[in-house]
Amino acid sequence: MKPFAALILFACLAAAGVPAQEFNPELLNKPLSSDWPTYNGDYTGRRYSSLTQINRGNVSSLTLAWAFQTHGRSLESMPIEVDGIMYISAGNEIWAIDARNGHQIWHFARPVAQVGGSNKGVAMWKDHLYMTTPDAQLLCVDARTGKMIWQIQVDDPTLKAFGGVAPLVIRDHIIIGTSGDTADLPGFLESVDPMDGKIQWRWDAMPKKDDTVAWNSWPHDTNVSTRGGGMTWITGTYDPSLNLLYWGTGNPHPVENGDARVGANLYTCTIVALNPDTGKLVWYFQSSPHDTHDWDTVMTPVLFDGTFKGKSRKMLAQANKNGLFFVLDRTNGKALISEAFVPANWVKGYDDRGQPIPDPDKEPKPDGVLVTGGVGTNWQAPSYDPDTGLFYVNSRETMGVFYLTMPGKSAEGWAGRDFFLGSKSMLKAIDVQTGKIRWTADTLGRGGQSGILSTAGHLVFTADMSQNLVALDASTGRALWHVYPGGSFGTGPITYELDRRQYVIFLDDSVAYAFALPSAPAHEPVASRGSHSSSNP
Amino acid sequence: MGEDLKKSLVVAGLVLAAVFLLKAQEGGAPPAGPGGPGARNPAAEAAHAAAAERGRALFKENCAACHAEDATGGRGPDLIRSTLVRHDKNGDLIGPVVANGRVEKGMPPFSSLTSSQVSDIIAFLQSQITLFDLHTRFGPYPNDIPAERLATGTVEAGKAYFDAHCSSCHSPTGDLAGIAKKYNPPDLEVRFLYPSGTPSTAVVTVPSGPKFEGTLVLNDGFYVGIQGKDGWYHSWPANSVKVEVHDPLAAHAALLEKYTDADMHNIFTYLETLK
Repeated sequence: MKPFAALILFACLAAAGVPAQEFNPELLNKPLSSDWPTYNGDYTGRRYSSLTQINRGNVSSLTLAWAFQTHGRSLESMPIEVDGIMYISAGNEIWAIDARNGHQIWHFARPVAQVGGSNKGVAMWKDHLYMTTPDAQLLCVDARTGKMIWQIQVDDPTLKAFGGVAPLVIRDHIIIGTSGDTADLPGFLESVDPMDGKIQWRWDAMPKKDDTVAWNSWPHDTNVSTRGGGMTWITGTYDPSLNLLYWGTGNPHPVENGDARVGANLYTCTIVALNPDTGKLVWYFQSSPHDTHDWDTVMTPVLFDGTFKGKSRKMLAQANKNGLFFVLDRTNGKALISEAFVPANWVKGYDDRGQPIPDPDKEPKPDGVLVTGGVGTNWQAPSYDPDTGLFYVNSRETMGVFYLTMPGKSAEGWAGRDFFLGSKSMLKAIDVQTGKIRWTADTLGRGGQSGILSTAGHLVFTADMSQNLVALDASTGRALWHVYPGGSFGTGPITYELDRRQYVIFLDDSVAYAFALPSAPAHEPVASRGSHSSSNP
Repeated sequence: MGEDLKKSLVVAGLVLAAVFLLKAQEGGAPPAGPGGPGARNPAAEAAHAAAAERGRALFKENCAACHAEDATGGRGPDLIRSTLVRHDKNGDLIGPVVANGRVEKGMPPFSSLTSSQVSDIIAFLQSQITLFDLHTRFGPYPNDIPAERLATGTVEAGKAYFDAHCSSCHSPTGDLAGIAKKYNPPDLEVRFLYPSGTPSTAVVTVPSGPKFEGTLVLNDGFYVGIQGKDGWYHSWPANSVKVEVHDPLAAHAALLEKYTDADMHNIFTYLETLK
């Protein structure tokens, strides 16, 4: 895809020295503590921080340290924080903020007609930031100044493809996904060069003919397999020791008509493990074979190591939109646990790899069919706490009624209609050794559709259905702190430490709130971490 | 991704990039997104709809044999998902294909079509693309599911279920008289399954003894708030009062967990007779 090089608008700025705030990829390999340098904090997707200053004993005194206003632009992004600077994003905008006090350093606003649209977050590589946009472009922005360096078109907006997913940086690879499910279009992952955006590899969710098993999971008497699905909406995770990139893919198309695409429809609704240097598939696990309910598998594949049934294992856990919780051996994609965490009547059983077998009676029908399981959870990030061994997920029990409105083999687009009735939301703590629910936060609203953070302070931070921001006891789910900021919290909390003061950040509507203990403990600021002003014009 | 999509992406990217660069240099107004600014113009919309109708007939006559009447393709390519069609501006991409054909792929030239006929065909294709793109979960298109399609049960079985499970609260000649006239078929079905939106009520007992009763407004585990019978709002810290909540939908929620698909079809078939 060499012509993309022609799209580079500005020459890359030469690196001027090595500023203290420059992103060091080694950060991503260390246990998460003082910084939050990537979408999920680190590569594991656990969203577990080893910080303990704010803990079960003192969290009730948590108070506002500062707030940052976008003055109306709503935020759905996960902030990142590197060496005292926090970056938050919306559709076509990025703000760099002094992470000590909330003051704006710069504001990047792309001059396009539509400034709206959501964004899930930026990625950092050296002194560059990367974001994907509503018109499906990838932008590279100078982290020091907020000036755009280059932009490339990565997908076709006339086919209703859009960006938003936070890129993932692995060494010299900027890995991006794509979103959209109005028109039928095929999903993919791309790795591009951080300096100029040149494509390094591309992995397509729609299989090629020589990939026999996947190819044969689609009919080929129509063009349905080229129209596809399998969008790559949400940032994946990475295991440096296995050099494997894990990413979930979206649903097949037409969305609610399975007759038009008889077969398992690989690689849609699938967790794939790829080599991040080549984009080659190493293994896959299809969490919803032949999906007909829009149960895209884009929830974070969370990585952790430990003993499972007496054997040392490298594991991957995912709480899926389809209502099932999976623990896989992440070296080969075989399921150790496949277990429903909410009632799921669409599952007939499991195959020998632990993949669910869908019940054909629960596919959408012209006269409607009642389905449980989805939307068991959504894209908002879960968290795994290695101290408690619990996987925390904001879950939803609901009854869906699914109508097939466009039957036949030529159906396109959604091809159906669904309604969700009487949902019950709650935060569930799942034991990763058994897949059983250890506790459910009480039904008075606690447990929303927000992302989750856990910390070594024995705390779980999230928001509830009434949009209270809450800190819960990691062992029991008891609420130890809460505040009602008056907006809605659609992303996940993050935490970092500066000058030995721990901050917890929530992006709520158009405001970033930083919470901390009432005053920093009596320490001098640590000189080696520097102050942002020395290298930021 | 096919080679032509790749090319058109590159073209689109170049155009967008060029426009962006130009505008950035001019410091002028930002470029319009795909489709242009969304200002409504009823006269233009009506003209476009008329052109699309003329185009439908022309398409059926000239194109449908290969591309299907709805343009989703058959022997020839799907034009709804065609990047060439979607990137067309006033016939600049479609016009030459129609006029010259794609002989190597088996499409003959349609040189007898006038440019206004080609415009009408393009208007038809645009309307088909809009129709298919609207066909989402949130779109208006499939809302008109006809009652016959949903009424696949029997009136007798539906009435028996109603008499056994619903008649203590509802009556076909009372609150449900004429219910099938009030709601379109999918709305009727969804409403009997779970008529969401009906608020709970609560009785709040404060430590000093008095009871407050009203519509439950807030109950998040931290605070309880009600709109009292006197119209005033009252709230209390949740841990300072005793709260009894009455959910009028509790019976519906309990039934919802038990319905089989056959129950749903039977009940709908019965309710559809209440006209």
